[in-house]
Amino acid sequence: MTSVTHELLEAAVSRFPQDALTPVRQAALAQFAKSGFPTIRQEDWKYTNLGAVVDLSNAWLANVSAAAPQRNWTAAARRAVDEILESIDASWIVIGNGITALETLSEVEALRNQGIDISKLSTDGDTAAIVSDDQMTRFNAALLQDGLRVRIHPSANLSKPLGFLFVDHAENGSLSQARLIIDVEPDATIDIIEAHVSVGSDAQFANTVVQLTVADSAEVGYVRVQDRADTHIQVGKLIAELKKDAVLDYASFDFGGSLVRNDVAVNIAQAGATVNLHGLYMAGAEQHIDNHTRVDHRVGPAVSREEYRGIIGGRARCVFNGKAIVHKAADGSDAEQSNHNLLLSEAAEVDTKPELEIYADDVKCAHGATVGQLDRSALFYLQSRGLGRDEAMQLLTRAFAARLLTATPITEIHAYIAQKTDQRLDALINGVTQ
Amino acid sequence: MLEINNISTTVGDTEILKGLSLNINAGEVHAIMGPNGSGKSTLAQVIAGHENYIVTDGTVQYDGKDLLELAPEERAREGVFLGFQYPVEIPGVNNAYLLKAAINAKRRHQDRSEIDAFEFLQLAREKMKDLDMDSAFLNRGVNEGFSGGEKKRNEILQMIMLEPRLVILDETDSGLDIDALKAVAKGVNAMRSPDRAILLVTHYQRLLDYVEPDFVHVLSEGRIVRSGDKTLAQQLEEHGYEWVREAANA
Repeated sequence: MTSVTHELLEAAVSRFPQDALTPVRQAALAQFAKSGFPTIRQEDWKYTNLGAVVDLSNAWLANVSAAAPQRNWTAAARRAVDEILESIDASWIVIGNGITALETLSEVEALRNQGIDISKLSTDGDTAAIVSDDQMTRFNAALLQDGLRVRIHPSANLSKPLGFLFVDHAENGSLSQARLIIDVEPDATIDIIEAHVSVGSDAQFANTVVQLTVADSAEVGYVRVQDRADTHIQVGKLIAELKKDAVLDYASFDFGGSLVRNDVAVNIAQAGATVNLHGLYMAGAEQHIDNHTRVDHRVGPAVSREEYRGIIGGRARCVFNGKAIVHKAADGSDAEQSNHNLLLSEAAEVDTKPELEIYADDVKCAHGATVGQLDRSALFYLQSRGLGRDEAMQLLTRAFAARLLTATPITEIHAYIAQKTDQRLDALINGVTQ
Repeated sequence: MLEINNISTTVGDTEILKGLSLNINAGEVHAIMGPNGSGKSTLAQVIAGHENYIVTDGTVQYDGKDLLELAPEERAREGVFLGFQYPVEIPGVNNAYLLKAAINAKRRHQDRSEIDAFEFLQLAREKMKDLDMDSAFLNRGVNEGFSGGEKKRNEILQMIMLEPRLVILDETDSGLDIDALKAVAKGVNAMRSPDRAILLVTHYQRLLDYVEPDFVHVLSEGRIVRSGDKTLAQQLEEHGYEWVREAANA
């Protein structure tokens, strides 16, 4: 078993202060000791090797004491935070190296008056909801120091999105475990942004878990955007549960990171739910981005729609695995999923696998995947009108991505995403033509 | 303006043009006719610079420059325009955006300032009206979901907006109903001018009833086998291409 040294992990956890999370950490620690990190021998992880995380984790565990919330961040970290705060209009909760920043506590106070309660898992004691049912969520729980519980009441009337900004910077350690538990109560409507940035060029590893419950007739717009430094490793999981007539409109964007793994697990627990999953990943150089999604249709009728798109250059490798499972009791399910990839270079690679498992009779399901290069006849057509090759490539590539941008909920983040998309396109296309 | 001297061209392993020569002067309208597979479209693609067509022999001079040395976009900026037989659909790229980018690419090449957004829209709307095109086409994806006739009109619109010096229209008349054919012909005739040359590539005489050529050439098996004035097109229509082939082999 490839994994961190258990003695180091145990010793590190024992140095954490006693708080409401202590029993959670101890239980998860014991479970993690048995399972360790995922390995490429596991079907779900066969393309994504977390080997690099082991040494990183051991080094960090040997030195760590409990991380403290920070007021004074490095100038670089501050700039990374400001860039997001200035470009996206949202109520931001800032989380540095997995620890909620003290300075956002005033934001928490303000949100309380708008029907949103946010409390710390380490102090409010409501830890029963913490899920640790697989290797990475266990590792997260074993080292969890903070974490937030968020309740969106039916009366919530926030005029802008609720944003969670995860900033990792080397100053306080190279490992971070963050967790959000978000309950959207019946009939509530909320837009949520999950943004990940990082600073510093030392290797870092962030492992984020978000648990989201969307209650009866509640509606959630959710955008995850990741633009970490190119030496940083990001593993994240969204565990969502949809109740009666609930709506989840989700979009995920990956621009940075050296090794990125996203899991999305949606459980359609009651009839009438609708879930839209969209994703765009743009990878160049040696980047590795892996998206695994799973939608469980447990009852019908319910609708799930999924479309992920990838633009891959350099020697980058991407993975898409989208699974929709229509259980026996889920007659009336309507599931569609697709994955389209554009390879910009010879050495770019993608492994794509949309999967349907159907155990009910009355269902409507479709899936498909494509892997291709830029359409040469379209390139020539644009060039024959006077557009340079770079410009033509950029135009066609942007057109490929544009479909997802238009499907993205939360208009407040559109300009930021469009700008990041263009920046990445520039870099990827320059990498191809130079 | 355009001097094609004894060019041979291959696509993959197949030789298509086999020593073709053709001179076109400013102010002239030429028509190239010929049966399917004779190399008409190849000639058009070679002039525009498609990378699949390899010129193995001969030269092409455009305004005294070696045309074959120029990238496709450089040819366009120098005033070469190809109206495609099969215009490409490009979903997600806005028609107006492409038109404007094309105009500005040429303007930058000429050290001129970019076109004003308002001026552009006004011009585009005016030209579309002339072509009997709904201005809503401006906001659609390039040729996305256009009918055959709409695609050809869109090519003509681009031609008019870009004001090229050398126009090559590859089978622009194919698949058009009579109204579209007339609209296209009107657009082409409006382009005739003393400092511009037009090369019409066509299988049928139909377009030539509306756009009268100064010269007609018959292409067969990669060579021009016969040249003449517009009456040659009428003879072809009467006797068919077999007549030319026999004459060429005689």
